[in-house]
Amino acid sequence: MLQVKDAGSSMRVAMITWEYPPRIVGGIARHCEGLAKALVNQGHEIHIFTLDFPGAPDYEEQGGIRIYRTRSEVGHPNFLTWVLLFNHFIEKRMADVSRLVDFDVLHVHDWLTASAVIAFKHFSRKPLVFTAHSTEHGRSGLHIPDSFTIDGFEWWSTFEANKIIVTSNSMKGEVCGHFHVLGSKVEIVPNGIDQSKYEGTVDKGAVRARYGIQPHERMILCVGRLVPQKGIEYLIHAVPIVARRRPEAKFIVVGDGWYRDHLEWVANTTGHRWRITFTGFIPDWDLVALTKSADVLVVPSIYEPFGIVALEGMVAGVPVVASQVGGLTEFVEHDRTGVLVYPRNPESIAWGIDHVLSNLGHAEWLVKNAREVVQKTYSWEAIAKRTGKIYKEVASGGQP
Amino acid sequence: MSFSPIPQLPEEFKVLSMMHNIGAITPERSLTADELSQWTGIDVSTVNAYLHKLREGGYVEFIEISGIKKYHVTGIGIMKVLTLYS
Repeated sequence: MLQVKDAGSSMRVAMITWEYPPRIVGGIARHCEGLAKALVNQGHEIHIFTLDFPGAPDYEEQGGIRIYRTRSEVGHPNFLTWVLLFNHFIEKRMADVSRLVDFDVLHVHDWLTASAVIAFKHFSRKPLVFTAHSTEHGRSGLHIPDSFTIDGFEWWSTFEANKIIVTSNSMKGEVCGHFHVLGSKVEIVPNGIDQSKYEGTVDKGAVRARYGIQPHERMILCVGRLVPQKGIEYLIHAVPIVARRRPEAKFIVVGDGWYRDHLEWVANTTGHRWRITFTGFIPDWDLVALTKSADVLVVPSIYEPFGIVALEGMVAGVPVVASQVGGLTEFVEHDRTGVLVYPRNPESIAWGIDHVLSNLGHAEWLVKNAREVVQKTYSWEAIAKRTGKIYKEVASGGQP
Repeated sequence: MSFSPIPQLPEEFKVLSMMHNIGAITPERSLTADELSQWTGIDVSTVNAYLHKLREGGYVEFIEISGIKKYHVTGIGIMKVLTLYS
């Protein structure tokens, strides 16, 4: 039997995530940080349970957010065993904290910390909200035993959750279809963006010069984890096609990942290696400056539940060329807020880049429309309000 | 246009991933190349070559105790490993 909370009050939320700044892997860390900040501003009490990171304290308070970083005291060479071990340590930490804090809602992000939270849910009899940021089925397919195990964790999380949050209509279809979940159990709450980060001006010339872009050259930016689903290989194959039409084109690829060596090898085969710079991970402030200084932002993903990088480009005032996949199609409207191109198709990607660079007046119009859409719909304040409503619904027993 | 199939994980990435999974993420939990060779089953000279490459990329760092180098994963090394799972 769930403990029931008065639906009118603010919530005490345990938010559990394997990544939280400064431990940033993909979009989840930034998502949790933006959501937690906005929820605190709206009067909720947010407790983040996450993993340790070199240099970060075991416990700290940031703007009212209480952050508990748990060290995994025992490691294991097998990744999935390591995951189960750190879940055990997170669960212990949650149990310790729960002696002092009576949580109203548990909110877990993705499968990696699900086993700790599901056990804690049954112990504490508190409602569980699960945000499915992506699925293993979509990320990697189900080709190896580990993927089937991860898929099983994801199914288990959707089964145990009182409410499932996804960030796009596309993800709702994926979750309902793959895990056989009723649509009424799934709420779409998009990702948000901290628009204040993109306010102010930058010295574009100086930023571009730091990355080897001359004043007469065009900077085509791509940001993401260097993993197959980001489709960066197809952008690299588009480089010679773009270069034929635009000899002044240069490409900056920001991010890192296990696929990087392969992508650099592909870049070496294009005959245009000198046009392509791989920066690795860069600091957040530099990424903002770089994004604001780009001529085009390309998001060539082949799988994208949401695509927050595109949203960041839109708010930074750079025209976005994005693959017509997943969540990207829900806010990049072709030739109105950006340009959609065919995924896995270098010719199409090259066309999209050239389309934007060929007509600067049209590109400015795209940017203006894109900014309006982002400002209206994707503020963290709006997203926290919708999330808070879900917390209140599950805490008041609105969903079994 | 033909595209290459998705490659296997680079072997030095397996060393980095192993270091991360067994907890070698801080200087006090650093491991020697010999120890990493035992964990991974890769011979020591190859492990040393991989560690050299990983250090050049900023993914690992070492401390030296009594002339013996002990390696641990850096912050960006952790982030690189975790790209495999998210």
